[in-house]
Amino acid sequence: MSLLVAERLSVTIGGRKLVDDVSFTLDAGRTLALVGASGSGKSQTCLAPFGLSPATAHGSVRLDGDELIGRGETALRGVRGGKVGFVFQQPLTALTPHLRIGAQLREAWTQAGAPPPTRAAMAAALDRVGLDRPLERLDQYPHRLSGGQRQRALIAMAIAHHPRLLVADEPTTALDAVLRAEIMTLLCGLCAERGMAMLLVSHDLATVADHADQVAVMQTGRIVETGPAERLLVAPDSDYARALIAASPRLDAPPPMLGAVGAPLVDARGISVSFRRPGWRAGKAIAVDGVSLDIAEGEAVAIVGGSGSGKSTLARAIARLGPIDAGTVGWRGAPLPERRAMRPRDRAGLQPVFQDPVASLDPLWTVADIVAEPLRRLRPDLDRQKAAARVEAMLVEVGLDRELADRRPAALSGGQAQRVAIARALGPDPAMLLLDEATSALDVLAAGTILDLLARLQRERGLAILMITHDLAVARRLCHRILVMDAGRIVEQGPADRLIEAPVHAVTQRLVAASR
Amino acid sequence: MRTAFAILAAIVLLALLGPFALDWRYDAIDWNAVRAGPFTPGHAMGTDSVGRDLLARTLVGTRVTLGVAAAAALVSLVVGVAWGAIAGWCGGKIDEAMMRVVDALYALPFMFVVILLMVVFGRSILLVFLGIGAVEWLTMARVVRGQMLALRERPFVTAAEAAGVPPAGIVLRHMLPNLAGVAIAYLLLTVPQVVMIESFLSFLGLGVQEPMTSLGILLKDGVDDMDIAPHALLLPAAMLVALLLCLTRAGETLRDRFGA
Repeated sequence: MSLLVAERLSVTIGGRKLVDDVSFTLDAGRTLALVGASGSGKSQTCLAPFGLSPATAHGSVRLDGDELIGRGETALRGVRGGKVGFVFQQPLTALTPHLRIGAQLREAWTQAGAPPPTRAAMAAALDRVGLDRPLERLDQYPHRLSGGQRQRALIAMAIAHHPRLLVADEPTTALDAVLRAEIMTLLCGLCAERGMAMLLVSHDLATVADHADQVAVMQTGRIVETGPAERLLVAPDSDYARALIAASPRLDAPPPMLGAVGAPLVDARGISVSFRRPGWRAGKAIAVDGVSLDIAEGEAVAIVGGSGSGKSTLARAIARLGPIDAGTVGWRGAPLPERRAMRPRDRAGLQPVFQDPVASLDPLWTVADIVAEPLRRLRPDLDRQKAAARVEAMLVEVGLDRELADRRPAALSGGQAQRVAIARALGPDPAMLLLDEATSALDVLAAGTILDLLARLQRERGLAILMITHDLAVARRLCHRILVMDAGRIVEQGPADRLIEAPVHAVTQRLVAASR
Repeated sequence: MRTAFAILAAIVLLALLGPFALDWRYDAIDWNAVRAGPFTPGHAMGTDSVGRDLLARTLVGTRVTLGVAAAAALVSLVVGVAWGAIAGWCGGKIDEAMMRVVDALYALPFMFVVILLMVVFGRSILLVFLGIGAVEWLTMARVVRGQMLALRERPFVTAAEAAGVPPAGIVLRHMLPNLAGVAIAYLLLTVPQVVMIESFLSFLGLGVQEPMTSLGILLKDGVDDMDIAPHALLLPAAMLVALLLCLTRAGETLRDRFGA
């Protein structure tokens, strides 16, 4: 019998339709994945019927035969506390900071009227979701836990009252690739063990591929295709599903077409960076520990590692955009000056693109001004008219409409904003781009087109690329060579093909397994 | 929010232009109407104990109070933004030192210092400006420094550095414009505080000098005659309350909108 049935579900907010006429069924103990780009209404579909969204739901959603739409807040709270558990995207903000893990778990446990659990029972629950030293964790505050540990604690809370349905809204999006795979495996194991059904929301087809029974693909508030996961992922009917699948980076994709590699360009020796630990704790945390690397003209190199491995810090130190304790950086044979002593002509050769596309553009400036800024500083040879022409050429080059030139960043989508950032970086005609997680804040389709754009630019302009990513599949799509970083050191490096086919170091093997 | 701004605008306009439309100047004495009640011909709100038109005095008093408040708020804006921006941008030891100075000034019993200044240097409106402005910039400096620290970590600032923009250019072109909204919101919140301080000083007899008047002086005169002429207290009191409420409301709405 079907556990959750949605019929002609629509969700509106302020007269705008976020979800339009969506129907699906979810059987007890099965997993249904809602997949779509950001803004496709997939989160609203699973949150609004339970009263967890400011938007209003219309139509019909029945849980175990009971209609949810139109019920009052009190009744819905009873449903949420009894039959449904929720896991959200942001493990960093979903825990109450001033309550110990144990207190929050007890609260989740007793919300449906169950008797208070013993410490041993709570520790066992934490142990089941894979938290080490569970008894100790009960007395810790959320800030002592890492992102992955917090997500585990949240999952323990979500299932503490033995719900029949688990709603997981992008449960792994904020985590790095290795953790992503571990958490998904954990969720599915729990579902199988307890006969729980799962409604899984994700923008990432690759994540859901192995874990869902049914997949529903959503686009602009409608379901465009539904089907069993194994069929839909291999032979989709709709164009949109096909595009989504094509855009997801895969390790077994054919190797990318990349430009030729030339003379040595960057030569970094013995880079070390450390940070003073905050608060009263003495000492320094070492982020990068004596790393050397070199990059040739036209060579695309990826640094891959989990969060906290020091990859971003290393890249910023090399680009002279972050702190550095020791080490030298050579640029075409000559040493680069220190960060404070960098002259505009030292900066022109290496331009960065950052992770959060909207935050990397000044919110008060127009697109044209943003793209023109590095030209004004780094290309004094261009006069006003030539610079304006170059801005326009750059916008065209990255595939942006000319009309966008007068917009401000808030009026751009994530993908458009990242194109603007790339146009800004290309303006001064650099020899090398620094891509710091440049696609990880974008949804799959936008990320896919940005990666294609970067690959084309790399090929046509002979750009060197230093790419920072936690996802081997993304690195594979754009890079000649991959360096794997862990705890501030490079643990393995080699040509992309070799490294993915035959990983040697344990960290690399974990990364490869996580991306499969 | 709209109402608050509308009432504020009306009060400012009245204070600036109103006195010209009245028959009596704020310091002119009508010997035929000493202590007149409200709605006396020629004196819509009556007169005070020496026969000066109360409406004219209230409007001029509001003008003076607002003037002092605006000047002091401006001083706090300039000093506070400059201090906070330098501390926030430089960071490290410079930041520490500059913020400890702010803490030390915070710790001074400010009212006592202003009163001392008044006693030593004599009463002058200039001193009131300086005294109040010199203290009110402290909060502004803290707010601006906090914003600078947050903005410094934003990727668009790093992008500007990569674009070869010198530090001064980054601060002036990227950071200050982005914290202007918050600074203006706090500026609006500073004004009611200054209005209070000015009124209090005048009430104590340390503010502006007769026959020049301010809301504080009017309140003090009103309190003296409260039992026989309550309207002389009610009119300036209503004006002060309206000003404070509207300024605070407008400031808080702006502050929330800019998310500080």
